[in-house]
Amino acid sequence: MTGADRFERLVRWFPPRWRERYGDGMIALLEDTYGDADVPRRARVALIRTAVIERVREFGLVGTASGANDRLRAGSLAILCGWACFMVAGADFAKFSEHWSASTPRAHHALPSLGYLIVQDAGAVGIVVVLFAALLTAPSAWRYVRAGHWTSVRRPVVRSVVAGASVVAFTVGLAVWAHGLSTSDRNGGLLVYEIAFVLWCVAVVVALALATGAALSVTRQLDLARRTLRLLSGLALVLSAAMIAIVAGTVLWWVSEALYAPHFLRQGIGSGIISVSSTFPLSLIIAAALMLLGLGIAATGVIRLVPSLRRREALA
Amino acid sequence: MAKKIASTQAGLGRNNEPPLLILTSLASGAKHGYALTKDIETFAGVSLGPGALYGAIARLEERQLIEPTPSEDRRQPYCITASGRAALADAVREMRALSDVGASRLGLRLSARRTGPAIAQTGDAR
Repeated sequence: MTGADRFERLVRWFPPRWRERYGDGMIALLEDTYGDADVPRRARVALIRTAVIERVREFGLVGTASGANDRLRAGSLAILCGWACFMVAGADFAKFSEHWSASTPRAHHALPSLGYLIVQDAGAVGIVVVLFAALLTAPSAWRYVRAGHWTSVRRPVVRSVVAGASVVAFTVGLAVWAHGLSTSDRNGGLLVYEIAFVLWCVAVVVALALATGAALSVTRQLDLARRTLRLLSGLALVLSAAMIAIVAGTVLWWVSEALYAPHFLRQGIGSGIISVSSTFPLSLIIAAALMLLGLGIAATGVIRLVPSLRRREALA
Repeated sequence: MAKKIASTQAGLGRNNEPPLLILTSLASGAKHGYALTKDIETFAGVSLGPGALYGAIARLEERQLIEPTPSEDRRQPYCITASGRAALADAVREMRALSDVGASRLGLRLSARRTGPAIAQTGDAR
């Protein structure tokens, strides 16, 4: 690999528009600075850090260069990214907790029931909000495609559709197979099924990530009316509230189960993947970590969105 | 209360931050990336990595404080704009005010020549 190739590979961390503008100058600087020598690890890390910041900036999440519309859009999309984390966390939580009711004494059902209900209802609200947001942007997306821009979004959209269809087929196959297995086989008794289940989980996560990526790619390029952007921002705030409710419900359910049915958490009925031995089962820890990550991303979006929304309201 | 010193230095950050160092370097003429890092190393003793340098260049260009000048090779030189000179002058004045307060409280006598009028000239040069 030549020196220029090495430097070009480093510069590829930066977003395309940035590379177009500063890429040549940056490569020339790297050549002048390091010549044939290796780029020190510290400089490499600093470069990648700057590249990540530039990507976040181009997305519109930081910086003052982007306009109010871009900030509203970026904030809403960040909240959607946070929601994607919640979808994975929610699936993990649902699988883990599916038989909690049978394992918890009737006298102590009230609190975990309340927590579980909050998670379910807030999850349903979130799904409705995302679907409604998709419906709101659909006409603009259709206009965009009809205007001849299909090629600029084809790759992420096709990848997402293929991944989604594959997951549906995988799910149907797995469900049919699981139907013929005993409860014990489905929960750790049959290694082949365990492996298939883990693969299915990975496929779902990948499909979800690709769908979110496609939604970001498309929505970032759409010419959305001011009213639509305001509606989307409002929906994003409702989605953030749903995420907070889900975290609260999960904590309530987890604490109640730890108090009244610790054996359920220890046995890990329904986890089906990893046997657990404490009131902090790995499945729930992963779900909680994903929720916190999602909340963090969504909070970044809210911080970006709310001031722009307020400014726009003041101007309106 | 003593005269309040603005802490933002015309929005360019602290006195060892890349935007201020780049503007200071470009105040003496257009330079490309490598020439900038070498000049900054000479006058400030700060070694700017490529990431920090180009991150700051992008921000400064975004704020129209610097602009690219024509170049025939890949080395893209940049020069300071009139607003860049004004921002640098503001920053230098703020630093000067801060150093005056510090010197007077420490009972020091600064040997360097006062640069007030010179700064004003620099700021109005373009």
